[in-house]
Amino acid sequence: MSTIEYFKHKDPPKREERLKACIAHGDTVCGLARKGKGCLTQDGERSFTQGSICLLLPALAMLNSLPDNVVLLHSALGCGSCTHSQNANVRMGGNVRWGRVKDGVWLSTALDETDVISGGEPKLEQAIIEADRRYRPRTITVVAGCVPGIIGDDIDGVAQKVQPQVAARILPVHCEGFKTKIWATAYDAVFHAVGRNLLEDPEERQPVLPDEEGSGREKIRLQRTVNLMNVSSMGRVDEVELERLLNSLGLEVNIFPVFSRPDDMVKATRAALSISTCPTHDDYFLSYLHERFGVPFVLKHMPIGINNTGLWIRDVATRFGQEEAAERLIAAEEAELEEALAEFRPLFAGKTVFVSAGEFRALATAKLLEELGFRVVGIRSFHHDAYAEGEYEKLAATAGEDYVIDIANVQPFEEANLLSRIRPDLFLGHANGNMTAAKLGIPTHVIYNTGLAYIGYRGVYEIARRLHRQLRNPIYNRKLSRHLQLPYSDEWYGESPFSHIKTG
Amino acid sequence: MSSHFIERPRYVCSLGGAAATVTALPGAIPILHAASGCAGNFAWTWNGGSGLQVGGYCGSLTVPSSNVQEHEVVFGGTDRLTEEIRNTLRIMKGELFVVLTGCVTEVIGDDIRSVVSGFREEGVAIVGAETGGFKGTSYYGYDLVLQALFRDYVEKGTPPVNGLVNLWGIVPYMDQFWRGNIEGVRKLLESIGLTVNSFFATDDTQAGLKNAAAAELNIVVSDVYGIEAAETFREVHGIPYLPLPLPVGPSASDAFLREVTERLGIDPTRTEAVIVSENSRYYRYLEPLTDCYNDLDLQRYAVVVGDANYAPALARFLADDLGWLPELTVCTDQLGEDEKERLGGRLRALESGFSTNLVFETDGSEVINHLNSSRPRYADRKYHNPFSPAFVLGSSLERELAQGIGAPHLSVSFPVANRAVLDRGYTGYSGGLRLTEDILSAVVAAR
Repeated sequence: MSTIEYFKHKDPPKREERLKACIAHGDTVCGLARKGKGCLTQDGERSFTQGSICLLLPALAMLNSLPDNVVLLHSALGCGSCTHSQNANVRMGGNVRWGRVKDGVWLSTALDETDVISGGEPKLEQAIIEADRRYRPRTITVVAGCVPGIIGDDIDGVAQKVQPQVAARILPVHCEGFKTKIWATAYDAVFHAVGRNLLEDPEERQPVLPDEEGSGREKIRLQRTVNLMNVSSMGRVDEVELERLLNSLGLEVNIFPVFSRPDDMVKATRAALSISTCPTHDDYFLSYLHERFGVPFVLKHMPIGINNTGLWIRDVATRFGQEEAAERLIAAEEAELEEALAEFRPLFAGKTVFVSAGEFRALATAKLLEELGFRVVGIRSFHHDAYAEGEYEKLAATAGEDYVIDIANVQPFEEANLLSRIRPDLFLGHANGNMTAAKLGIPTHVIYNTGLAYIGYRGVYEIARRLHRQLRNPIYNRKLSRHLQLPYSDEWYGESPFSHIKTG
Repeated sequence: MSSHFIERPRYVCSLGGAAATVTALPGAIPILHAASGCAGNFAWTWNGGSGLQVGGYCGSLTVPSSNVQEHEVVFGGTDRLTEEIRNTLRIMKGELFVVLTGCVTEVIGDDIRSVVSGFREEGVAIVGAETGGFKGTSYYGYDLVLQALFRDYVEKGTPPVNGLVNLWGIVPYMDQFWRGNIEGVRKLLESIGLTVNSFFATDDTQAGLKNAAAAELNIVVSDVYGIEAAETFREVHGIPYLPLPLPVGPSASDAFLREVTERLGIDPTRTEAVIVSENSRYYRYLEPLTDCYNDLDLQRYAVVVGDANYAPALARFLADDLGWLPELTVCTDQLGEDEKERLGGRLRALESGFSTNLVFETDGSEVINHLNSSRPRYADRKYHNPFSPAFVLGSSLERELAQGIGAPHLSVSFPVANRAVLDRGYTGYSGGLRLTEDILSAVVAAR
């Protein structure tokens, strides 16, 4: 199905159907690299699972960042309380971008037992109207959690019904957690709402007074303007790095969707090119922008690590005939970086590392760590889809020995088992994902935090600098491990880490 | 306050509170029968709201969870739950397992009681509680877990032990200072010769919980949290309970000790001796502060914003111990009329004679309107008596309010995003000293 067809439906498709993405698989890097196209068509199930997240959480990370937006959760009152931590990103993100520290505005219709029985639509209607009057926002994103999904509340119908009564644009966003096990569907859910409700076709936007000189200038600018996608996986410091690299190719950058206003989103429909920083995040929307507005895109490499950043720059440069400029830029950047990394390399040489994160991020970061002199001994990817094939190939090509790949939506019990066997010298994990390794006494570092630099050449240097700091004194975790225990039975460590995966 | 939504809810759902409560019990393993995202939502919530405390022995993303999907919604989830429990018992090391339902499994009507009782018949230490998120807040989830434990886990007919009391009412993770606060109340009770079972403190054990029916009295340091559980305990084990406000600082601690003394028929002369000695100690610590308290003119007007435990307790401390003027006290919980009445009663007849305006308001951004309505910020005349110098004692969501009225601020009630909390507590006499330190440190931070 073409992407534009998907956008005609109220709900976005789930990724297990659209991309055949999977979350339960144990393999090795060479195994996955060899399997080639569509390597997994049938996902497994686990007979034991630990809690993880659902699509609501990453979706809210994006929605909470939007200025002048009110997030109205339509669910039981707990859904969306994750915003208490995301609010730190909203405050800091606002501060570094606009010098303004402001809390996000999130509300909950707090469906109770009565609503579950009699339906929550009337409450939602009134909530939208009151939110519009109280906060005067540009947009109200109505986000559905599990409960409306089960009791059958029609948030799109409610939005349509009350839209004439409110000043804000209402965007219904579908995040019914039980409907998909691939939480990366979150990005599709948000983009689906943006695409259906905020973007206008070019002919809808005619200037009141014609200004030929002005519109000519604007046209030339747009020919050099690129969309840079950030779904909240990068902080401002990383955006600045990529802007710097793109500017040096003579390009202007329109960053969205995080921290962007509706106008910036509309601007995206007129850009010369969309640039992804991660196929896991962006494929759905970039295909849509291409099909509906004719904006071409590049979506292949993640600019994490030296080689991958170079590949990412080259992909962009080719589209603008800037190949030579790109080669000069890359050569200069690499030379400067290499010299700066020299002081850290001796401490890294030959140390083993285990990496855990969203698939693309984990694989690109593993490559970066190899470039710094670490030896990768295992990777846990939160899910797997065909976009990552190239990354497994890159890693398999340079792997001294084959190593384990755990496809798991977190599942720290598998990780505890693996880590107790492998005992790496270093572990890099996602937020809320370093605790297992830390309690085992392994030095740890967070693989994603919007306050820290990870991306581009600056990111390589800053990661190296931070790892060097961690490894110079890793005693904190070592002491933790002496006094704390993980909650797993002794027998579990003797079993195969993948013994609870039932293949489909 | 809106009747259609809650702004930035300062709580999780009942499942979230229940899961945190189980995590806080020594050696306990929560088993969520819920959608996959519930556990992560809670972990992110504690990360941002609970003074940097996430999980424990088995919390955060470590908790077993059946992660029900559309298949279970259509066909029912009890098979999946049975499989999950069976494998949990093999993989996880725990002394007690507590099955907790979420919205999805409760709406589809999974009968967890029969699944759980099947395992209990096999001799597994396992309990179930129906904690679907739409039932209420995390505070209520705490109550629901305690009810289940008191009904199905605490042993019946245990011979009574003289001087043993159970203590609850402080909700783990929702009160970031739970560990320190429990410790503070425990010390108070021990000072008058009692033995305390507090279930969640670092030194508590499963055995203490299991034998809780040996207590003489259940002391609930809350007018709201854990009250239904206290009723359950009374019904099942015949032990009465005494609800008392969270004792923060010397005045509240004096009253707390006297009430417990009277209720248990303890020799009051001993208690009075303890009160004299504790107060004398407290004021010896304050002694060297006297110059600066006066020279820097540290008395303040104040706004207190907090949950049902903190709002009255902090207002009382400010009014009766610190000698401040907490003109507005905002309780951000959703409460019934009788609960509101109980909290109001706690703030009537304060020792200082000071009277605070107690307001029930869930939405933080409305606090400024409550303040302005009682005390206009501007006046069109040369001489004006504004709400200044002021202090805001609330959650980290009150930072905008504090900035707006130009007042320093301290986060005490949930969410506390901007402090690290380990064993700090504000209960008891020493808790009053901690709180005085923290408040005054915020006042003089720019000095």
